[in-house]
Amino acid sequence: MNRTRTLLKKLAWSIFTILFVIVLNFFLFRVLPGDPARAGVRDPRLKKEAVEMLRVRFGLDKPVINCFESLNPIKLGSCTVNPLDTQFFIYVRNLLQGELGISYHTNRPVADILAERLWNTVLLIGAGQILSIMIGVVFGVFAAWKARTAIDYSAVITSLMAWSLPTFWLAILLLFWGSNNGLPLAGKATPGSSALPLLQQWADIGIHMILPTLTYTIIYMGEYTLIMRSSLMDVLSEDYILTAKAKGLSTFQILKDHALKNAMLPLVTVIAINLGFTVAGAIQIEAVFSWPGLGLAIFEAVGRRDFPVLQGAFVLIAIAVIFANFLADLTYNYLDPRVQTE
Amino acid sequence: MNTEHFLEVRGLKKYFDAGRPRLFSREARFVHAVDDVSFSLRHSEVIALVGESGCGKSTLSLLLMGLEEPTEGSIFFEGRDITHLKESERKELRRKIQMVFQDPYESLNPTQTIEEIINEPLLVHGIAKDKRERDERVMKAMEDAGLKPAEVYLSRFPHELSGGQRQRVVIAAALVLEPEILLADEPVSMLDVSIRAEIINLLAELRITRQIAVIFITHDLGSVGFFADRVAVMYLGRIVEIGTMLEVLEKPKHPYTKALISVIPVPNPRLRHERIILQGETPNPIDVPKGCRFHPRCPVAIAICKDSDPPSVTLSKTHSAACLLLVK
Amino acid sequence: METTIKVIEPKNQWADRLLNFWRVFSKSRIGIVGLVMLMVIVLMAIFAPAIAPYDSSSSASVEIDDIYNPPNSVHWFGTDDAGQDVFSNFVFGARVSLTVGFFAAFISIIIGGVTGLVAGYFGGRWENVLMRITDIMLVIPDLPLMVVIVALTQPSLLNIIFVIGLLGWTTTARVVRSQTLAVKSRKFVLRARAVGAGNGHIISRHILPLVMPILVVQGVLVVSLAILNESALSFLGLGDPTALSWGQMLNYAFGRGAMSIGAWWALLFPGFGIVWVVLGLTLLGQGLEQVLNPRLDTHHLLPGRPAIQRGHVESRQAKGALLEVQNLSINYINEGKPAARAVEDVSFTLNKGELIGLVGESGCGKTTLMLSLLRLLPSAGQIVNGRVFFNGQDLTAISDEELNLVRWKEISIVFQGAMNALNPVRTVGDQIAEAIIKHMPAIDHDKLQVRVIELLDLVGIAADHKEQYPHQYSGGMRQRAMIAMALACDPQVIIADEPTTALDVMIQAQILELLDSLRRKLGLAIIFVTHDLGVVAEICDRVLVMYGGVTAEYADVDTIYNEARHPYTQELLKAFPDLTKPKKKLSSIPGYPPRLEALPAGCRFAPRCPAAFDRCHTEQPSLSEIGEMHFASCHLIEASK
Repeated sequence: MNRTRTLLKKLAWSIFTILFVIVLNFFLFRVLPGDPARAGVRDPRLKKEAVEMLRVRFGLDKPVINCFESLNPIKLGSCTVNPLDTQFFIYVRNLLQGELGISYHTNRPVADILAERLWNTVLLIGAGQILSIMIGVVFGVFAAWKARTAIDYSAVITSLMAWSLPTFWLAILLLFWGSNNGLPLAGKATPGSSALPLLQQWADIGIHMILPTLTYTIIYMGEYTLIMRSSLMDVLSEDYILTAKAKGLSTFQILKDHALKNAMLPLVTVIAINLGFTVAGAIQIEAVFSWPGLGLAIFEAVGRRDFPVLQGAFVLIAIAVIFANFLADLTYNYLDPRVQTE
Repeated sequence: MNTEHFLEVRGLKKYFDAGRPRLFSREARFVHAVDDVSFSLRHSEVIALVGESGCGKSTLSLLLMGLEEPTEGSIFFEGRDITHLKESERKELRRKIQMVFQDPYESLNPTQTIEEIINEPLLVHGIAKDKRERDERVMKAMEDAGLKPAEVYLSRFPHELSGGQRQRVVIAAALVLEPEILLADEPVSMLDVSIRAEIINLLAELRITRQIAVIFITHDLGSVGFFADRVAVMYLGRIVEIGTMLEVLEKPKHPYTKALISVIPVPNPRLRHERIILQGETPNPIDVPKGCRFHPRCPVAIAICKDSDPPSVTLSKTHSAACLLLVK
Repeated sequence: METTIKVIEPKNQWADRLLNFWRVFSKSRIGIVGLVMLMVIVLMAIFAPAIAPYDSSSSASVEIDDIYNPPNSVHWFGTDDAGQDVFSNFVFGARVSLTVGFFAAFISIIIGGVTGLVAGYFGGRWENVLMRITDIMLVIPDLPLMVVIVALTQPSLLNIIFVIGLLGWTTTARVVRSQTLAVKSRKFVLRARAVGAGNGHIISRHILPLVMPILVVQGVLVVSLAILNESALSFLGLGDPTALSWGQMLNYAFGRGAMSIGAWWALLFPGFGIVWVVLGLTLLGQGLEQVLNPRLDTHHLLPGRPAIQRGHVESRQAKGALLEVQNLSINYINEGKPAARAVEDVSFTLNKGELIGLVGESGCGKTTLMLSLLRLLPSAGQIVNGRVFFNGQDLTAISDEELNLVRWKEISIVFQGAMNALNPVRTVGDQIAEAIIKHMPAIDHDKLQVRVIELLDLVGIAADHKEQYPHQYSGGMRQRAMIAMALACDPQVIIADEPTTALDVMIQAQILELLDSLRRKLGLAIIFVTHDLGVVAEICDRVLVMYGGVTAEYADVDTIYNEARHPYTQELLKAFPDLTKPKKKLSSIPGYPPRLEALPAGCRFAPRCPAAFDRCHTEQPSLSEIGEMHFASCHLIEASK
């Protein structure tokens, strides 16, 4: 019963956060001065008709929201405007229909551009997360189990060093290394590989994934190692571990049956919180390796000041992270009996 | 209003919201932490409030200190209603009622020196602005609390002291304001038996040397016999028996008091005696049993106990108990 | 006693505390390394004009030959795409990176600190609103948002500082809030309120001093994150073009062909600078954490120290005894400090079906002694002499595998706090079953379930509680469950380590009655550890009184209570409140038990003993037999013999 309530609460909360992101996105792109569409409207060299044409073209002739002509609070507009005919509503309606505008650079719909790239990012983050969590857990368990030995110290120092690396710089270093070892350096597939049989296509993608995934794994493994270690240290100092030892269980049984699950719980929370941060890593990695994901889209859009793409990518990434966060919360609720049965 | 009773509590209730049982349920549930408690206190009198955990004694102490707002009822101090005071009005009052907490490890700030801790109440109330006068008061409070010689302790930190010494520091910090009432919430239950005696002795001394009235809250009836004038036994938010120390300890009338007394460990194997061991545990104060709240665990309950809530039966001028078996 | 009151000298406490802090911090090797690494870069940034061979804006006279020169004697780090000296840019870049890092972190720490403090301290609606905002900000991926904002504004240094600062406070707010909540719930805050202190006073005197350490560690972390974020923004092309930070240098080099030319120096050194600073900060943060929020890096799975035997010890078990402890001594080994002699030369015998009470104040070595019987001591503990015989086997000498067959099967333990001694994420029934499976692997599933229900029934828990978790049990039920678990494998001996201490009197009586009846029903031998002589009198056959790690007195229960000879036992009995003999004043033992690392030279009780004489302060008394089954260690008794 309470579990359902928690679930509904989390769900409502996630939806609210998504709404917040959508509103934030709308206003960011209208309050901040950078968007060339509106900058163009203010260009004094343009004729009045040209300005009007631009305003209609970008929908700027409509009031921003009901009662407001623009975002300047002094410029109050009429409140009799049909709320459905405001810039904000049109923006939301477009968003709901999956319409994110047209790229300034390629003149293609932003939604189409991002749709093909989303899965590449999910692939990279997914593979990287799984590897870094697995390695982090194993290292963390060994470090905690063999606390205050050489194994422990080297695991901690290595983790701290990995944590301190700027992602893009590690990517550049691995790029150097890869170029000397014949690994593919850029992109997701060898040009022309789409003609090959499916299995070879996958193998091709796999080889292209090696360097980006390796970068991702090294960057985040350190953090997971440290968290797993400290969480396991806490658990292993608990009285119930002493009980387990008194029961005559072997060290392996104690680790497996009493320590791991308890220690994994804090890790799940951290993974959930971290999702927002790991996207930062993905953007940098994709930029260096030209991995055709959302991060590369952002990188290119920044260079070209292609704002519709930037806007779309931000909304898409934010929603994806919020969704993933919700899933992580669910996992936690499922794993910890103390949440279910309070 | 009886002037002799300088602290009087009438019909005090405190209910905490316990949330709704279901998402869309209409009835709200309450924790009946303190449920209609009345008693009074004379000058330099020691009253012991005794009960198991969940009986509401700690909530009662917070109500008396004005750290929680009562749901109903009133508290009078020197004839004045102090139930609902603004914090500014209460500040003056706080000098007169001071509190000692259960856990001396927790009730001292680890980053403060002993001097800072004992000086703090003076600082808060802006009294004894003159340094010499302040030092004198601090030293006096410390020596009264048995921290002698005081100089030795001034610059130490709490972690450098033993449990008993820490509890003395807490008491000194209360004494420095020269209070009239000391509210001691389980002051010895975290201490070893051998240390308990000296803290209880200290409290007993203070009521004589400083004329302080003490409200002594404990779960252990065995430790109250030495200095309490009166004893009130609480069960599920209510006082079930109250009387002088001898009346309650030697002629208990309520079956709960009888059971509590019978399980006090006697440190002599030759005096092994019959014990009344109640089954089960104190029920959740959210679902207080109907009728007499003690009847589900009562060894002598009869049929009517299920239905009617017993009134307080006066047994002597000072002794009363709430049990249907006493109603004649 | 002198009556003049000395005026307390005002001391410079802050200087004192700072010095104290430095003394502790300087022992953290990791912290010192981090501090030195950070200082090197900070000094380099401050004295950049003196260090750098070229002015950072001297690219006016660049020749085409100057571009991407490898490191040489003139340009130590080579030259970049604009022909500038990489070393000079590297030195000046430190200024930009550190400026952004420190100022952005300052903004984050202020916002996060205030948000966390207000939310944690005031609670209620404030907390709700603030933490909801924090949660939203935490979930929204920060780098994409920074990219969007910086791209839409002018990428200037000031903008970057503000964007990083304004988006980087969420973790600080959460950390500060939870620490504030933890501090606020502590009793000294309630005590301050009871004294009449206002919010301002409580926050400044009680909350802040305890939140500060966390905030300092967090601050170091936030600086390093800000530096990483700045470099990422710059690398993505959103850096301030007029301020050449390390990230900006990498952006130019990477974007302008350093890869294809193979100009590794233009890519290596700036990145190395970032790693250096961030690693320095990280190590400093770790060092501070170790000092400010110290945690013991010990746990129950660290390998124990092997028992050693010194001197002459009887190496055979007495006939008929079930468990025999012979001259057991245990030390705690602390690096760089003298060993703490926690238990010294303790012997006792436990026969079948017997209940022996082990009594003493906290810190007298009771728990250490009990844990050592099954070699469950923490890793610092070591048996330095003596033997533990069980059924003819010396438990101090057998292998871990052999010992695991004795643990729980023959000797089980009921721990003090059942809440902590049960695993919170496994059901009670499952934890009981686990012990049975371990020692009877062949048992089939149905029989196992029947046995678990039978055990729960034995301690008075209904079968439908089997699938519940420990947190769904009440305190008394948990202790019963713990007892059921201890009975799971039909052991011969149960060690009950203060099983009733945290419980209410009535529940305590219930548990005592349960243990006593189980002992009679199942013929168990029980060692009952407690600090409460009253409890012992109710159920024990024999009593061992410990003081400061040694046996003070050992006798049958009647002798202890009526003919105690050791002054400590006598004083303990006098201090006990006794309803049957009303009196006005309790007698108490002055002083406190000795600290194990600084034991007195003579008798350990001598400083508190009302009857101590000269010899007691110089010579440790030995345990002597004063009657049948009555031992005490006291010079008085020896003298009177």
